[in-house]
Amino acid sequence: MSRFRSAGLLAGLLALGTAVSCAGCGSSGGPATASPAATPPAAAAAEPAYSEATSKATWAVLPMGASSGPNEFWQLFLLTTGRPQWALDTPPDIATNGALELAGLSGASIVTGVRPSLYLAFSPVSLSADGGQEWAAGPPAQRLADVPDALAATPGGGHLLALDEAGEASSTTSAGTAWTPLVTEHALASTAAGRACGLTQLTAVAYSPAGVQLLAGDCGEPGVAGIFTASAGGWHAAGPMLPPALASSRIRVLRLVTTSGQTTALLLAVSGSHADVVSAWLGADGAWTISAPLSIGAASVRTTAFGASGAVAAVLSSGHGEILTGPGGSWQQTPLVPAGRAVTIALPADGQVDALAATGGVLTVWQLGDAAAQWTKAQTVKVPIQYGSSS
Amino acid sequence: MPGMNSGLDVDDPTIVSAFKLALLHQGIAAVLLFALLALAWVAVREFRPRSASAGQRAQAALPEAPARQVLRIGFGLLWILDGILQAQPGMAVGLPSQVIEPTAQSSPTWVQHLVNWAGTTWSYHPIQAATAAVWIQLGIGVWLLLARKGRLSQLAAIAAVGWGLVVWVFGESFGGIFAPGLSWLTGAPGAALCYSAAAALLLLPDRYWRTRQTGRVMLGCLGGFLVAMAVLQAWPGRGFWQGSLHGQPGTLTAMVQSMSAQSQPSGLADIVSWFASVVRAHGFAVNLIAVVALAGVGLVFLAGRPKLARVALIVLAVFGLADWVLVQDLGFLGGLGTDPNSMIPMLLLATAGYLALTPQPAAAPAVAPGPAPAAPAPATPQPGLWSRRLRPASLIATLASARLATVMSVGAAGVVLLGAVPMAAAQASAAAAPILAQALDGSSAPLNAPAPGFTLTDQAGRRVSLASLRGKAVLLTFLDPVCVTDCPLIAQEFREAGVLLGGHRNRVELVAVNLNPLYSQVSYLQAFDREEGLAGIPDWRYLTGSPAQLQPVWKNYGIASETLPAGAMLGHSDAAFVIGPDGRMIEELDFTPGPGTAATVSSFATELANAADQALGQS
Repeated sequence: MSRFRSAGLLAGLLALGTAVSCAGCGSSGGPATASPAATPPAAAAAEPAYSEATSKATWAVLPMGASSGPNEFWQLFLLTTGRPQWALDTPPDIATNGALELAGLSGASIVTGVRPSLYLAFSPVSLSADGGQEWAAGPPAQRLADVPDALAATPGGGHLLALDEAGEASSTTSAGTAWTPLVTEHALASTAAGRACGLTQLTAVAYSPAGVQLLAGDCGEPGVAGIFTASAGGWHAAGPMLPPALASSRIRVLRLVTTSGQTTALLLAVSGSHADVVSAWLGADGAWTISAPLSIGAASVRTTAFGASGAVAAVLSSGHGEILTGPGGSWQQTPLVPAGRAVTIALPADGQVDALAATGGVLTVWQLGDAAAQWTKAQTVKVPIQYGSSS
Repeated sequence: MPGMNSGLDVDDPTIVSAFKLALLHQGIAAVLLFALLALAWVAVREFRPRSASAGQRAQAALPEAPARQVLRIGFGLLWILDGILQAQPGMAVGLPSQVIEPTAQSSPTWVQHLVNWAGTTWSYHPIQAATAAVWIQLGIGVWLLLARKGRLSQLAAIAAVGWGLVVWVFGESFGGIFAPGLSWLTGAPGAALCYSAAAALLLLPDRYWRTRQTGRVMLGCLGGFLVAMAVLQAWPGRGFWQGSLHGQPGTLTAMVQSMSAQSQPSGLADIVSWFASVVRAHGFAVNLIAVVALAGVGLVFLAGRPKLARVALIVLAVFGLADWVLVQDLGFLGGLGTDPNSMIPMLLLATAGYLALTPQPAAAPAVAPGPAPAAPAPATPQPGLWSRRLRPASLIATLASARLATVMSVGAAGVVLLGAVPMAAAQASAAAAPILAQALDGSSAPLNAPAPGFTLTDQAGRRVSLASLRGKAVLLTFLDPVCVTDCPLIAQEFREAGVLLGGHRNRVELVAVNLNPLYSQVSYLQAFDREEGLAGIPDWRYLTGSPAQLQPVWKNYGIASETLPAGAMLGHSDAAFVIGPDGRMIEELDFTPGPGTAATVSSFATELANAADQALGQS
C-alpha cells in the first residue's frame, strides 16, 4: 500500500470518526432540571387579570386584543357604584402592552402602573382622583415586577411603593421625582425574618390602611407566610400564623391588597401536588383573621377579585369560581364561569357578583343570579383595540 | 436588536435601482479595464515584438493535466454563474435576511453570532456588499478560466480559496456542519467548501498532477467523506429512516418539503413536492438507497481502483444529479439563489479525482530547450528582485511576451479588486450607508424659512430657547418619553448621529421636544434619557413644558399627535428638522424609523450627521 493510499484511508477513517461523533448532534439531551429551591410553588396565578373594589367603584383589569405580542393590550374597566354599566377606563397616552397594575384604591381614587413592553424600559405611573375622568402622571418607576401587586399606594395615593423586576422595593411620594430604595429581595432574605421564612421571591407590596409598608413573598420554609413590615430600623415578620393543617405546606402570597381600609392577603399553600387557598385579613390591631382553607387539589388560581368589605374571589383552572364573603365567611363555589380568553370575577359594593370575560376586543359581563345557580349575560363592551399601534 | 434584517422589501425600488446603477458603473469600469489592458498589450507588441524566453515557451507548451483542467474550468464557470446570480435584484436586501439568517438558524449560538455579524455588516452597506459579491465572484471565475498556469493561476486559486471560505463560513454557516440534520443529500458540507477545496488543489505543483497518487488521495478523501455521510444518513434516531413519524414528516420528508416551499418555478416545485410525497410514503426505501449508494461509492473511492472508480463515478453522477433536482431543487432558482448547491461541485471534484487517478502521460514539450517538465521555469522572464521586475522596461517586456489570455487574467484580478476595494472602503466607516433611510422614508424636503421659536424646559430643569442655540446647527425632533416603538429608535439615531459628527459635535445641538401631554414632567424625560443612554450627553436637550406651552410648538412644526383609546400609545408623526446656525430651517426629514435594526438606526444617524454637516457648510 502506498503512502498516498494510506493517507487516503486515514482521511476516510477520520471523516468516518467525525461522522460518528457528529451523529448525536441535534439529538435531544436529557430533560432539563432545576434545583428544588428554585421551583416556585405550583398553581400560581396564570393570567394577570383581576378586579378590586371600593365602596364607590369597582375596577377590573383584563388582557385583550391578541393573545400575546404587541397587539395584546391590558384594559382597565370601571363600574361606578350605583350605575348599571361597566365602562372602559384605561389610562390614556400610554401603551399597556406590558400589563396594568392597580394601587391606592380609595373611593374613586386610583393609581395605575404600566409594566414596560417593547422598547419602553421603565414603568409610567398615572393617578386619577375621579374614577378616571382626569389623569395625571406620577413618578416613573423602575421596571415593575411581573406580579399583580408590584405597585401600592396609600389611600388617596400620597405615597407609593413599588417592587421592580430586580426584586427591589422602593418608595416615593406621588409628587416626587425619584424613588428611594427600601430593601432588596436578597437583603430581606438575609434578615432574621427572611431566614425564618426562607424567602425565595418577593411577590407583592402593599400599604396597610394605617400607611405601613408591607412586603410579601414566597417562603421556602413550610408553614410560614412571608409578609414583612419595617419597624425599629429593620424588617420583621408580619404575616399571619397559619393553622397546623398547613404546617407542611409551602406558602406563596398570591395577592396582598388594601382596598376600602382593609388589607387582605390571598395565600396559596402547596403540599406536594395538592394546594389550598387561604385568605387572611389584617385587623386594625395588627392581628390577622384567617379563613378556612379552600382545597383546590391540583388546580391553579387563574384570576382573583377583592371586594370592598373584605370579600375575596378566585377563578380556578377548573373553571369554577370560589367566593368568600369576608372574615368569618365560608368559600362558596359558583357555577362554571363563562368562557373567555381571560375571565375574572368582580365583587361590587352592592353585593352583586359579576364575571367579566374578555376575548379579542369584546368584554362580556355576566351576573350571578340570586340563587347563585347560573350566570346571566348583562352587558357587552366593545373595546376599540388599536391593532398595530405598538408595532 | 436584530441585526440581519434591514426591514426593507427585497425588491425595494430605491435599493434595487441603486444596486443596478452601481453594477452598471462598475461594469463599465471593468470593461474599460479590459479594454485598456488589451490596448496596452497590442501597443506594446507593436512597439516591442514578442520575445518569450525558452522557459516560457516550454511552460506554455506543457499541456495542463486533465484533472486540473476540469477543476479550473469547472469551478471557473461555477464562480461566474454564482457572480451572475449575485446580480439578481433582490440580493442587496434579501441575502442577509432571507439567505444567510435562515441558514444559520439551526446552528449553535456561536455560529449565529458570527453569521449575524456578517449579515449586519452586509446590511450596513447593502449596495457595496452586493456589488462586491458580484464582481469578486465574476472576477475569480474569469481569472480561473484565463490563467491556465503559473503564478497568475496560483493567485487566482488563492483568491478562490479565500473567498470560498468566506462564503462557506458567513454565507453557508459552515455548510450547516454544526447544525442538527446534517445530510449529504441536502448539501453537506456546503458548496463553498467544495469551491475552496478545488481551488486548493489548483495550487498543487504540476508534477503532482502527473502521478496517480494525487488521484488516490483525492478519491480517498472523497470516499471517506461519503462513507461518513452514509453513516450519518443511517444513524438510528436521526429520523431519516421514517417517511413520517406520529403523523409528522420524518427528517428527510421535512427537508424535501421545505425545499419544495422555496421560491422557484412551479414545475420544479411540483417535482420536488412529488418527491416529498414519495419520501413520506417510502421513507425507509429512499433512505436505504441513499445509504447504500453513499457507502458503496465511498468504499470504491477509498479502494482507489480506476475501473471500479469509473463505475462509482457514474453511480455518483446519476445519484447526485437526481438529488440535485429532487432534493436540492437545483439551488439557484427563485430570485435569491446564490449557487447551484453542492452536487455539481461535488461531481466536479469526483471527476477530477478520477481523472487524476488515471493521468495522461506528459506530452513532450513543443520547444526542446528548457527545463524538465517536473521543474518548470517560473512564468516571469527572469528571477530577481520584485523591484527589478516592476521596472517599466521589465514590465513592458513581460507584457510584450505575454499571451492575451494572461493579460486578460490580470484584468480579471482587477475585477476582483473592483468589487473588494469599495466594500473595504465602506467597511472602514462604522456608520451604515444613508440609502437605507432613504429607502424607508424617501428623500428629505428642502425648506428655507425661519424656524419657529420656542422656549421650553430641558431635562435638567433649565429654560432653553431656540434663539439661544443660534450659531449652531440644530437637529430637532419630537419624542414621546413613554413611547414603546419609534421614539426610542429615533433617540438612538440622534445619539449615534452625535457620535458620527465627531469634530463638529460642539457646533451641533441635538434637540427633542416632548410630544406627550400627560407624561410631560422632567422626571419622564430623565427616565427616557436613562433608558436610551442619553443622560449626560452635553449636546442633547430634551425639552418639555405644560401642554399649553407644548401645543403651539407642535402646531408650528406641523407635528400631529392624537390620543388613541384602549391602551394604545399616543399616535404621532415622526419627523426631524435641520436648522442652520442662522436659525433657518433647511430641510425636513420624514423620520419613521422602520424596524429599528442596527443597520437602519445607523443609516438614519448617517443621514442626520450628513444633514448637519451640510447645514454647517452652508453657514
